[in-house]
Amino acid sequence: MPHQCVRCGNMYEDASKEILKGCNCGGKFFFFIKKESMQQMQEITSQLTEDDKKQMEQDAFELIGEEETEKPVVLDLESIRMLKPGKFEIDLVDLFKGAPLVYKLDEGRYIIDVATTFKSLSKKK
Amino acid sequence: MFSNLFKGKRHIKLGIYGPPNSGKTTIANRICKDWLGEEMGSVSAVPHETREVNIKEKITVKHKGKDITFNLIDTPGIATRIDFEDFLKYGLSEKEAKKRAKEATKGVIDAIKWLDDMDCVIAVLDSTLNPYNQVNITIVGNLAARDIPVLICANKIDKKKSNIKKIEAAFPQYEVIPISALKGTNMEEFYESLIRVLK
Repeated sequence: MPHQCVRCGNMYEDASKEILKGCNCGGKFFFFIKKESMQQMQEITSQLTEDDKKQMEQDAFELIGEEETEKPVVLDLESIRMLKPGKFEIDLVDLFKGAPLVYKLDEGRYIIDVATTFKSLSKKK
Repeated sequence: MFSNLFKGKRHIKLGIYGPPNSGKTTIANRICKDWLGEEMGSVSAVPHETREVNIKEKITVKHKGKDITFNLIDTPGIATRIDFEDFLKYGLSEKEAKKRAKEATKGVIDAIKWLDDMDCVIAVLDSTLNPYNQVNITIVGNLAARDIPVLICANKIDKKKSNIKKIEAAFPQYEVIPISALKGTNMEEFYESLIRVLK
């Protein structure tokens, strides 16, 4: 039975990791869809506006008594994104893995902390 | 005198980890005050007050006839987003807030770098906040992956909004010790658990 993300409409098969982790768009709620009603369901969700989708998510969070938690930070190849002076996003998973420190300054502009990377590599040896 | 006493003995490194403003330095201060008679670092309502790793060496905790000596390492708060605008509301100038944000980001990197050196970690969580977030889960998950023993402290139990059950439900495989580091509530149970985990 497929599951559809209520935010972006992406479909996921049963037991997909996204159902546990959350959709790639950051959504955490899914419609459970019976195969026979899938087409009908897709039509309904495709008609939902962005506001409708947000409202549905909000309602669901209220029903389960949870406040919406902050969206997790998952960065691309950089470990630290500098949005502007004094604003930083940090990919903790990368840092805990010991990935090289890569700062993204802007689209296409990166700084790589080569010295620290080599130091951590020699430490691992 | 102490150097002779502990000659040849490597002290356990006990790290204090957690998100910003969960009370890490307040716990460090409480431990230091209880056993050394002096505080460790400054605390503040403004997040990211601790931006450097601080170490206090040779702390001996005694409880019910048992004792343990360790080096205490207080670390900067781990966060995924650091925004200078969050500091402006506490009255910091824009220049000060931006400097604080930069130092706090470096603090996160340093705290994580130190993790591999730790023998045991106290994970400090604010019991008035929702424990289900990326920072808490990443910290506890990485400690488990490295086989580092963890003691979870549900801090700030003196506050009305405190919800210990929610922290216990979020991390059912760990021992959760409810405390108020500020008021010194339940520190006996904390020290008892600490000795048990460190031994």
